[in-house]
Amino acid sequence: MPLLEVEGLTVRFGGLTAVSKLDFAVERGALVALIGPNGAGKTTAFNVITGVYAPSDGSLRFDGREIGGERPHRICAAGVARTFQNIRLFRSLSVLENVRAALVGDRRSGLGDVLRGPAWRRRERDRDERARDLLAKLGLERFAEARADSLPYGEQRRLEIARALASGPRLLLLDEPAAGMNPSEKDALCGLVGRLRDEFDLSIVLIDHDVAFVMDLCERVTVLDHGEKIAEGPPEAVRRDPKVIEAYLGTDDEEEP
Amino acid sequence: MENFLQQLLNGVTWGGIYALIALGYTMVYGVLRLINFAHGDVYMVGAMTGYYAAHALGFAAQPSLAGLLVTLAAAMLACGVLGAVIERVAYRPLRLRGAGRLAPLITAIGVSLLLENAGQLVFGADPKFFPALLESRELVRVGGIALSNVQAVVLVTTLALMATLEFVVMRTRFGRAIRAVSFDGQAAALMGVPVDRVVMGTFVLGSALAAAAGILVGLSNPKIDPLMGIMPGIKAFVAAVLGGIGNIPGAMVGGLLLGVVETLVSGYLSSTYRDAIAFVVLIAILLYRPTGLFGTPQTEKV
Amino acid sequence: MRGRALLLAGLVLLVAADALLPRVLNPYYLTILSRIGVAVLAAVSLQLVNGFTGQFSIGHAGFMAVGAYVSAAASVYLGADGLAALSGSLPASLARALYFPLPLVAGGAAAALAGLLVGIPALRLRGDYLAIATLGFGEIIRIAILNVDLVGGARGFSLAAPLHPEVDLRYESLGAIYAVVALSVAVIARLVYSTGGLAFRAVREDETAAESVGIATTRVKVEAFVVSSFFAGVAGALFAHSEGYVHTNSFSFLRSFEIVVFVVLGGLGSLSGAILAAAVLTAAPEVLRGLGEWRMILYSLLLIAAMLVRPQGILGPRELVPGFLRGRPGGPRAPA
Repeated sequence: MPLLEVEGLTVRFGGLTAVSKLDFAVERGALVALIGPNGAGKTTAFNVITGVYAPSDGSLRFDGREIGGERPHRICAAGVARTFQNIRLFRSLSVLENVRAALVGDRRSGLGDVLRGPAWRRRERDRDERARDLLAKLGLERFAEARADSLPYGEQRRLEIARALASGPRLLLLDEPAAGMNPSEKDALCGLVGRLRDEFDLSIVLIDHDVAFVMDLCERVTVLDHGEKIAEGPPEAVRRDPKVIEAYLGTDDEEEP
Repeated sequence: MENFLQQLLNGVTWGGIYALIALGYTMVYGVLRLINFAHGDVYMVGAMTGYYAAHALGFAAQPSLAGLLVTLAAAMLACGVLGAVIERVAYRPLRLRGAGRLAPLITAIGVSLLLENAGQLVFGADPKFFPALLESRELVRVGGIALSNVQAVVLVTTLALMATLEFVVMRTRFGRAIRAVSFDGQAAALMGVPVDRVVMGTFVLGSALAAAAGILVGLSNPKIDPLMGIMPGIKAFVAAVLGGIGNIPGAMVGGLLLGVVETLVSGYLSSTYRDAIAFVVLIAILLYRPTGLFGTPQTEKV
Repeated sequence: MRGRALLLAGLVLLVAADALLPRVLNPYYLTILSRIGVAVLAAVSLQLVNGFTGQFSIGHAGFMAVGAYVSAAASVYLGADGLAALSGSLPASLARALYFPLPLVAGGAAAALAGLLVGIPALRLRGDYLAIATLGFGEIIRIAILNVDLVGGARGFSLAAPLHPEVDLRYESLGAIYAVVALSVAVIARLVYSTGGLAFRAVREDETAAESVGIATTRVKVEAFVVSSFFAGVAGALFAHSEGYVHTNSFSFLRSFEIVVFVVLGGLGSLSGAILAAAVLTAAPEVLRGLGEWRMILYSLLLIAAMLVRPQGILGPRELVPGFLRGRPGGPRAPA
């Protein structure tokens, strides 16, 4: 059974249909991409999967369980994490605190924090260790005490990934993780994403405009245009699909020179 | 039935006052997303200015319609200037520094306290009696409902001012600029709209209207004091929220509605709860339709 | 350990102050000191919601009113019996010390309930609308109390039990007041400066992102609101029992604004900032009393100037002694 099953998903905002009857599945351990021109509905699809919006129609199943319409924090608890197109870090918190914030998830009550018994101390130490560990895995450990918004752009994107990983997901959704990066940074990111998939036993879906980046990295590509799926398959096949070329206006200018 | 209509008339009259003050709140919120807590005190300054102007210009001794109009104009002018000064000195520096939402709120509180306490210092804490610029007499009596000339003046003036504002906002270039900035300040700036001047103009307009409200209230309820702006300020604010804060016709409708509801409840149920009505209306609105009668919900793009 | 030593020192200081100050200072200054304590607690409790959770609440005095009136009513109608009985069998100061926490907790609990009832609907609103709602609720609470004759209505309520006129329900012990304040500040500091407490600040920084990492933002906001209201209620109860008399005039929206000023001027997100601002701004008008009518004008000019010069408040989002309150050295700093 696929980890994520999207069936007939439709999302309407008033008169506008952002996503229309989308069928989409992600197998365990897969590394796939969701691409399409601007306004194709890719981020909307992410938003529905993560609970920011509720589906107007269709079903969303994660690990066999229907999650359509659930609140984002519940979906996160079920094992889905994401990054955002426009980087949404906890800006005035430190880099370490950004990651730690994701470790608690659904906290029961603050009583433990007030009483601070030995069990609490142990747990805090563990959390601290886990957070630093994650930072190290993403090469951010030396920034631990710095303010999140003081980081250079590429590091901020990596911090967002570290934070997403902290909630212990099985499915990771990356929304334009390579946006604004130069070619060498993109290469590094490529390697990183692949490593993360293996090391954390994840399934990863990413959205990106850079066709080459996606092709190098992903096993399967799904193409959306105006809210509908127009092609799906291995990157090479999709790239040559006339419908896809037409949707992008035959453009190679998403690629870096 | 007659009593009801009389109450209705009173309610509409008060509603017009609330509307005039509410317009200032709503316009400033529209362009700045700021709740200008000092606005109610501008209304007080208007009444006080009218008091002093009327005495200085001799209208207090010799009541006349012309005298009333001159006093009105003087107060509106003075408060327009006051509004401009407040915007320039207290709010603009914060806006230009991108100081977030709470800092201007504190400033607004500071300005409000300043006006109230300066008012107490300059005008004295004891209430004064606004001169009767019109000799009150009954103008007309339809059935059992009486309309005094003072009430008529209040109603006509309120209507005239609201119509003028509507004209300015909908049919002048400046009004278009106000609407543009209210809709999307950044886009308006990028399109060449002089945002600073629009903001100042909004303050001037709103303050002038509040001053007019002060004069009209002085005419109908002559007891004025430096703290008179607090309750009407809050109520006008509720009226603005009721109509949809940031929405100009909304402020007018909200004011009228609140005035009517308040008067009717106060007349038929109990006058001790008069002040509470506004808050109950506020809570009801916020729970059931926070964007107000005419407001549009704001959605966030994720 | 350093923590324990400081705690001990603090206790000694409180006991000493409690015993000595009433002999050294005249009652006017003692009153100011107790009012400072109340203001500090009010400010710190509001800081949890406004500064740490980023929610725009400006009706705090309403919860103080609930705490003040419920605790006063509890003392007058329920507690006087018990205190009289206790005072019969135990030395007076011990009896009173044992009794005193009860009305405080009663006031706090009632205020927390009010916070829950107000918070659940109000916290669905964003930004300015939440502010307006909290302002409205604060006033409604005040007006509602004004109409309850059992607690004096428009005449105010005195802390005097009709059946036990000899029992002194007032509790003016500065040591006790500041012990309660210190304990409350410690609780709030621990709540906020922990990994779980990061939830509050995450909600402040970015609600959408917070939800995406598993934080139940609505529940966090309500929790902050309820805890904050509890301590506001305790502050109100402290006020009622040290003044011996309450009137709704002390809990109008002007008072709410005052507390918001403490929090913003001290620096949103700074407990020590709120403490400092509350203390200074409560003492200042008294110090300036000689200036007569110019006092309030100066105060308002000070507010305006402070916002123009330093809108982020005195301490910004930092703490005065970062390590001490946060439990670990330093705070977020930009890299060198």
